[in-house]
Amino acid sequence: MKRIAILTVLLFLLSPVVAPGQTYSGERKFDGKHKNEIAGNLVGGYNVVTGVIVGETGLYTRHFTDRWSLTAGQQVQFIKWLYSFDVMGTYRLPLKRTSIYFDVHILDNIYGRWGTNEFIANGSACWEANYVDFRFGLSFIHYSKYNVKGEYQFFTDKGYTEPPTFIFGLGVNIRPRSNPWNLGFFIRNYDQFYYENWNINWGIRAHAPLTDNMKIFSEFNIRPAGSISQLATRYETSLKVGVKYVW
Amino acid sequence: MKAKTLILLALACLLSASCVKLREKISPTDIIIASTAVEDRVKMSEVFYLNHYNNKVWLIAEGGYSFLVGADSHVTTDPGRMDEMLAIGLRDDDLFYAHLGDIADTKAEYYVTLDSLLWDAKWRYVEANYEQISDYEFIEKDSKMDPPIVYTYEDIVYPFFPVVGNHDITRNGWALWSNIFHSSFYEIDVLVFLGNGEMAFDHLIFLDSASGTLGKTQIDLIKKGVLDGKYDDGTSLYRYTFVFTHTNIFRPQFNEFASTFTREETFFLLDQFEDWNVTCVFCGHVHTWDERNFNGVHYLTLDAMCENNNPDPGDYLIRVQVDDDGGLSYKKVHMDYAKKK
Repeated sequence: MKRIAILTVLLFLLSPVVAPGQTYSGERKFDGKHKNEIAGNLVGGYNVVTGVIVGETGLYTRHFTDRWSLTAGQQVQFIKWLYSFDVMGTYRLPLKRTSIYFDVHILDNIYGRWGTNEFIANGSACWEANYVDFRFGLSFIHYSKYNVKGEYQFFTDKGYTEPPTFIFGLGVNIRPRSNPWNLGFFIRNYDQFYYENWNINWGIRAHAPLTDNMKIFSEFNIRPAGSISQLATRYETSLKVGVKYVW
Repeated sequence: MKAKTLILLALACLLSASCVKLREKISPTDIIIASTAVEDRVKMSEVFYLNHYNNKVWLIAEGGYSFLVGADSHVTTDPGRMDEMLAIGLRDDDLFYAHLGDIADTKAEYYVTLDSLLWDAKWRYVEANYEQISDYEFIEKDSKMDPPIVYTYEDIVYPFFPVVGNHDITRNGWALWSNIFHSSFYEIDVLVFLGNGEMAFDHLIFLDSASGTLGKTQIDLIKKGVLDGKYDDGTSLYRYTFVFTHTNIFRPQFNEFASTFTREETFFLLDQFEDWNVTCVFCGHVHTWDERNFNGVHYLTLDAMCENNNPDPGDYLIRVQVDDDGGLSYKKVHMDYAKKK
């Protein structure tokens, strides 16, 4: 418990502000005993467009077999008026001591502040080795306005479908992936509830056990604008802290 | 052990890349933290605008007028294309010329070249449009004012209006860019005398998006309504509003690897452009032509006029024509200059 407390305090000290994130930092594969996972976290931080970020995220995962799983989630970020819903189907392919996860992710974001609905379909593969993980994939993003100047008018325009967006991610952990606790670094151009074009975000992530069935996780996410144009500029910093329960 | 080796290799690549000739063009370390802050640029621009531009820069058009737009000239040692753009604008009597950023790569020598070119272009502009009445005084050739307004050479505003691009300011190039252009966030009104004796106002908005974000200061100013130009009843003062900025909103194709705006800021801007009732938004940055409509606003992303990217002659400029009756159209303008062999 002492180790967990120290780790949690350390994460807060390292994180001047708080971020939405995902649960890739821990073991994703079925542990052979618990078919259900539920994770919830609070999010806080700062964004230059909206100011303070306050929100929550909830995820539920069902492991059907050792290979197949399905995750559904939702997110609310209150000051952004952002409401997100997603579902992700996963197939795990064991490869020696590592795993390759093939994910299909369907996501809908309602950006209420700007009357915009964003729909995303993403397919990606994530290779998880003992200390590192790489993710590559493609996103198909469509957005349209649903509300013009306060008048309720569903989908006023056909909207815009972006050309396919390449996604990439790299994560490094300081302990083997199966270790009960871990601390790591990540760099990527996506998060659980957004896929950027060519803007990377990076930060640290950690998780540690609370009980046999519960672990605490945290992620500090720095999301600059203009990074690939060599002018990384403060855009959003956030921290998420949550717990995951399995049964 | 393998992971550590990989990390060390990546760091070594990053450091070495930042030391070699690539530094003329890019700054790999700025992928993590940039050396130029959009907040500082906007604060400087606002102060400069209020102190020097406000109530000074008005463009006046008799009926119809046209303007020329170019992007991404990336001037280095050969300013041929930039020179040609200004010559075309003068030859065809465009009311003003807008440049969408990345005017020069970040090196003092390139800005010295650019500065000389602009000085020459201004002199040609003054010769064409003004009559020198004494050593220091000029009057407009076709002035209808009686007596005509007398200008000094410094008072004459050369109608070349740029926005700043990411390559202009990489590694603190803002010091070079701002020394010539001063302001990266500003607005200009065009006063149009219509044939029926009435007047109309058109609005030119220049936004600093070189960092891939407008930044808090600029966004707060926009939210405060400094660029709105609305009457108390919410109606707009302006007939047409044109926005000029560097970073593109829409990515023309899959293999465009430059940063665009982040998700929230994209939606904020699309919403803001609608609120301003913008006629057309002009962007650069990706060096690829793109044209589209989104919720009633027209978006044009221009190809690069840089001879290194496009060595052969081609249609790299845009001319927007506002007719006497208010009709609007645009066409591509051909550039003849080819890269020196």
